[in-house]
Amino acid sequence: MSTDGKTTLTVSGGVARLTLEREEKRNALSIPLLHSMHEQLDELAAHDGVSVCVLTGAGKCFCAGMDLAAILDEPGAAAELLSSLAEATLKLRALPMVIVGSVHGAAIGGGCGLTAVCDLAVTHPDAKLGYPEVDLGVCPAVVAPWLVESIGAGAARRIMLQGGLMSGERAYELGLVSHLVPREEMDTTVNTIVERLSAAGPKALAATKRLLNELPGEGLAAAVRKGAKISAEVVAGAEAQERLRRRRA
Amino acid sequence: MIEVQDADGIRTIMLSRPDKRNAMTPAMLDGLSDAASGHDAHVVLLLGEGRTFCAGFDLTACRDDDKALPALLTGLSHAIRALRTGPAPVVIGAHGAAIAGGCALLGAGDIVITNNDAKLGYPVVRLGISPAVSAPTSVATCGDRRTRELMLDPKLIDGATALRMGLVAESLAYADGAIARAREVAQSLAAKPPGALARTKLWLNEVEGVRGDTFDAALEASLALVDGEEGKRMLAAAWTS
Repeated sequence: MSTDGKTTLTVSGGVARLTLEREEKRNALSIPLLHSMHEQLDELAAHDGVSVCVLTGAGKCFCAGMDLAAILDEPGAAAELLSSLAEATLKLRALPMVIVGSVHGAAIGGGCGLTAVCDLAVTHPDAKLGYPEVDLGVCPAVVAPWLVESIGAGAARRIMLQGGLMSGERAYELGLVSHLVPREEMDTTVNTIVERLSAAGPKALAATKRLLNELPGEGLAAAVRKGAKISAEVVAGAEAQERLRRRRA
Repeated sequence: MIEVQDADGIRTIMLSRPDKRNAMTPAMLDGLSDAASGHDAHVVLLLGEGRTFCAGFDLTACRDDDKALPALLTGLSHAIRALRTGPAPVVIGAHGAAIAGGCALLGAGDIVITNNDAKLGYPVVRLGISPAVSAPTSVATCGDRRTRELMLDPKLIDGATALRMGLVAESLAYADGAIARAREVAQSLAAKPPGALARTKLWLNEVEGVRGDTFDAALEASLALVDGEEGKRMLAAAWTS
């Protein structure tokens, strides 16, 4: 079932909403889902008059990560999925509007990577976030440059090498998300942030974001793309194949 | 003075000079570099024997020997580099104290555990010595702002402060607990798929951007002061104080 998944984009006033829609798979990132996301990111990039975009997931959680186990038998699919994720993160970061992640339930692996790419991110204390890739014999190479950029290399090492998951509360302490509120207040908080951003000068917001995007230099995009290659190599290795097959069984 | 034990995928390296609080000699630092490289363990666990992890350089050798301080700085640089560039993640149990050269080793660790009452820091500018040799890994670990505070203001911080500053991953209530926790973290890492773990560490090294020439430049900055009047005078004053 690696052929399904999409994202939906709605724009109302100056506010866009991009939703991961693959509820039955906890919005796990598939090639079709990312393909749909690419189209809508391109659309957003050309959209004048939008100063805020909320990134969210349909159903019970934000995003359960990459659906690698599902595509084990399709030659080249893992490499395509990883490369597509890398390009999607670069497009998401490059958007001129401010991206607010509304991260409920879980943001795991690639999903936690998307969280790190958002400009602001809101979660709740008992949400589950993290990068359990090493536990599966996989290397979180695509999202590592984003995590290092977002919370620093020291904290990124501790999280990525130890694998597992952390609570929303811990993610907030580490600076991986910018806002922590009770789950039932998530929507209200996101709306408050959106209203605040909408009241700001759109040119000032865009200029500020553009400068912040330029600070890391060209090296960041190169590292994200190289990360997709490294990750695909590791996924193709025996260590990962054995564990992913066991997981699928 | 460096004891090495290999078991269950873990190479445990023990700084073992407890009567001198594991103060490091050039020979110990060379032993540490050797122990940190050329092995096939999946995880390195670095510990100190006795009441403290490491009090820093053994400076008594510098009293009569002009070559001792450059040898110590060079040895430290090589040890940090060997620990950092090796594919096996490095877990450090820094209980009690990690001072000057001892604190410098922490920057080479991936996951460092200390205890709340431990004393950590780089008060070496008081002796006219520059801690520049360990600046690249310190900046990578806890950021530019924190590193400036630690290296330019010669003070010691406690474990709880080190946790807040991002110098360590965890700070426990007791020194014994810190060692036990470091062993536990090493075991948990050793149970993970080693290939993915090693690739992830090496990729984080690459993303972090501390390269060979960065290590070299940092060592040069520390060595450049060794023959200066300030360093000789301040170090000599330490023997008479």
